Amino acid sequence: MVRTVLRNEWRLLRADRALGLVLGVFALLFAYALANGLAWVDFQEETLAAAREGNVERVESLEAELQRIADGGRPSSPFRDPRSPSVLGGASGAQTAVLEPGPLTALAVGQSDLLPYYYDVSIQTNESSFLQNGEIENPLNLLVGRFDLAFLVVYLLPLLILALSFNVLSGEREQGTLALTLAQPVSVRGVVSAKLAFRAILVMALALGTSLLGVLFSGGFGSPGRVALWCAAVAAYALFWFTLAAWVNGLGRSSAWNATVLVGAWLLLVVVLPAGVNITAGLLHPLPSRVEMITAQREASNEAVNQRSELLARYLEDHPELAGGVAADEANRAALAWAATDAVNRRLEEGTGVYDERLAAQRTLVRRYRFLSPALLAQEALLDAAGTGDARFARFRSQVREFAEHWRTFFVPAILAGERMTADVLPGLPAFRFVDEQMREVRARAAIPLAALGGLLLLAGAGAVTRLRRVTGP
Amino acid sequence: MVRHIVRKEFTDLLRDGRFRWCAAIVGVLLLVSLGSGWVETRRAEAAHSAAQETARDHWESQGEKNPHSAAHYGIYAFKPRLPLSFLDQGVDPYTGTSVWLEAHRQNDFLMRPAQDATAGQRLGALTAAQVLQYLVPLLIILLAFGALAGEREQGTLRQLLATGISRRDLALGKALGVTGALALLLIPAAVVGSAAITLGSPGPAATPLARGTVLAAGYLAYFAVFVALSLAVSAWVRSARTALVALLGIWVVNGLVAPRVAVDLSKWLHPTPSAVEFARTMEREIRSGVPGIERPDRDETADRLLAEHGVESVDDLPVNVIGVYLQESEEFANQIFDRNYGALWNRFERQGVVHEALSVAAPLLAVRTLSMGLAGTDVEQHRHFATAAEEYRRDLMRRMNGDLAENSRTGETYIATADSWAEVPPFQYDAPSLGWVLQNRTLSLAMLGLWLVGAFLVAGSLVRRAEVA
Repeated sequence: MVRTVLRNEWRLLRADRALGLVLGVFALLFAYALANGLAWVDFQEETLAAAREGNVERVESLEAELQRIADGGRPSSPFRDPRSPSVLGGASGAQTAVLEPGPLTALAVGQSDLLPYYYDVSIQTNESSFLQNGEIENPLNLLVGRFDLAFLVVYLLPLLILALSFNVLSGEREQGTLALTLAQPVSVRGVVSAKLAFRAILVMALALGTSLLGVLFSGGFGSPGRVALWCAAVAAYALFWFTLAAWVNGLGRSSAWNATVLVGAWLLLVVVLPAGVNITAGLLHPLPSRVEMITAQREASNEAVNQRSELLARYLEDHPELAGGVAADEANRAALAWAATDAVNRRLEEGTGVYDERLAAQRTLVRRYRFLSPALLAQEALLDAAGTGDARFARFRSQVREFAEHWRTFFVPAILAGERMTADVLPGLPAFRFVDEQMREVRARAAIPLAALGGLLLLAGAGAVTRLRRVTGP
Repeated sequence: MVRHIVRKEFTDLLRDGRFRWCAAIVGVLLLVSLGSGWVETRRAEAAHSAAQETARDHWESQGEKNPHSAAHYGIYAFKPRLPLSFLDQGVDPYTGTSVWLEAHRQNDFLMRPAQDATAGQRLGALTAAQVLQYLVPLLIILLAFGALAGEREQGTLRQLLATGISRRDLALGKALGVTGALALLLIPAAVVGSAAITLGSPGPAATPLARGTVLAAGYLAYFAVFVALSLAVSAWVRSARTALVALLGIWVVNGLVAPRVAVDLSKWLHPTPSAVEFARTMEREIRSGVPGIERPDRDETADRLLAEHGVESVDDLPVNVIGVYLQESEEFANQIFDRNYGALWNRFERQGVVHEALSVAAPLLAVRTLSMGLAGTDVEQHRHFATAAEEYRRDLMRRMNGDLAENSRTGETYIATADSWAEVPPFQYDAPSLGWVLQNRTLSLAMLGLWLVGAFLVAGSLVRRAEVA
């Protein structure tokens, strides 16, 4: 019997021009979103290739220079002598630490257009280095956001689902076909489920098919766990909307009424609630101001500088090339400068530590409100699965922090001892490699929004089943 | 006769529970967003002006030091919040809030508030502008989709027309009825808004009020477009349901699809370099100059000065060679910055034009650009502030290098007195005038005008041809 319903639905769909048109438009939108995401991944990969190439070039030129000096040449610039560890470990020998695009970045741009995915690490790296902007991007474009699959799934897919299913039951009743159908040995629930299942297969084929295509093109099958999470999130979110449609159909009102209510629900859950949640969160838990942090940083470094040195030393440090005949003892000056840098860094760490704690607390509070909207839950799960959510970037930052520490411990003892570096140290330089999240961690994190989404799905499902059970005839 | 239609439509709407609910939701959101925007803006503005004062204190109290050390120490500039930014925060969360003005370098604006927010918060930061751009049109659609199609479905259209009223007058009456209902929502919001503008302006409120008036006019035009469009569709299609579906389709394209398509299109037409590439180019050009912009050379500067003053040794020069050389390096670097940053900003602006041009398909893009412009939160006004800050930096460096050049001799270790820093005038930023903003936004204004005229013409023609049954 179910097979008959499905076959019948397929015939109806093929006959219905308008529905075919809607499906066609959506297929185009999906293709467009995917192309967009893939272009973004390409851009990131090109950029990272350039950054890695830069790393190699820097080491090669330092090596050549050190070799030349070892062979009796003079450093090409007296204040950029690579034999000095504070130069070799400083800006001229800096290493760019890169975060590879998330395995499914092509599906969800997420925060990857806003947060930095590469940092130059040197002994000068400190907390304020993490204040840098991400990729160069027009702020207007950041404000609006990209047209990627995540956007399509969260915002527009529900509309497709509602357009396909707002009248699964009411339409039959209005056409007078419900009585005929129910004359067969089937229940209302059976008919509605079969019709919805047919539509769900169509929608899922479109959404999941495009997603898998995207994964295929961007080589994301390396992390099957993430692909599975992505599919689960898409499916749970889509099913939620189907179930909601079933519930509303079970209320036994007209198709027009169903359409109005369902569109209203979409507006409320997708547009109004996230905005309302954000406005409430912003009012109740305002983010601490970074502006005050700058002032605090400035004061910290003033103090460190004042404690340290006489005016001349400071001047020499600012401009060794301008010191003319005044040649201070190189090692001593570098050690002195490092002492001050270190003092400033420590103060900065204290200041930002306090700030980061407040920030983390506020963000936890803000994220609690996401349970109010399935759209927010779906977005979180999708970004987490794609590896373009906040968590992976935070992980990258903390690994870069550790790497900077590692870099410092490599060079600072040499600075303090006034050692001279040779080309031999270059192969042993610390190298950054991002250790990606374990699937276990991603699953644990994504489980929360997914479970909440599942809860909403069950709620809508229970509503639908109770209502549909009560519908016995036309 | 039109009067009766208006009154009937108005009363109908007020009695309609759906309208009351929707209007209440939109009204509450509008008031809350106005209030929260105002609170947030005041909070940010207070923090910024306090930080600016502290920054100035730091600068003035740096004690005795060489002017070039002072130049390296530099000063921070904090972007002020303009009085109207509480209505529309525009790109502000995505542009940095402060910039360090130091020697040798034009720094980026750092600390974008959006970087500290969660991914979820990017989905919709509710501002008054967003309520006006997204939700009010939706309310208009809900009010007007059935205006003619509903009457037609119920068969009352034939009766109405039998009274001798023209289709045009009928549609006009419907439009005015909807407008009247809407006014109940918008007038209180406008009153609250102008009160907030008056209270929120530190200086005279005249300029913000003028900006606010143009802003209100822009939004009214936008709403009028939606009223006309709704009536046009309602006259055109057979059933009220189809009218609603078609109008919601227009709304989705206008509010959700077109803006993001504009992003992709603008990036495709005017790609921006990656930060790695940009930094590399700049580094290379600073290191070795570009044809026509040569890097100054310290020895050449010294030789030139010796020739100018007709002396043999730098010790006999009345100026410090290093001060002169530093200033020449500054001017060289400034030309490189102007080349690179200028090109980038121009690219951003051309991308902005793509957004504006695409308002052919979505009036939202026109009204949004206009709204951000008038609120002072668009990319162009961020550039205006960035330029002002950079000019201040260049002037500061000129003063520091001039002090070094004129008050010391080459090779001497010169220490300026502790009170010399206060002589530098503080950084003062004047927001651009209304005329400047409107001049930048002519395309948006024209597009909005086009939509207004177009929507009314289409509505007029469709209403005249509206079928009775």
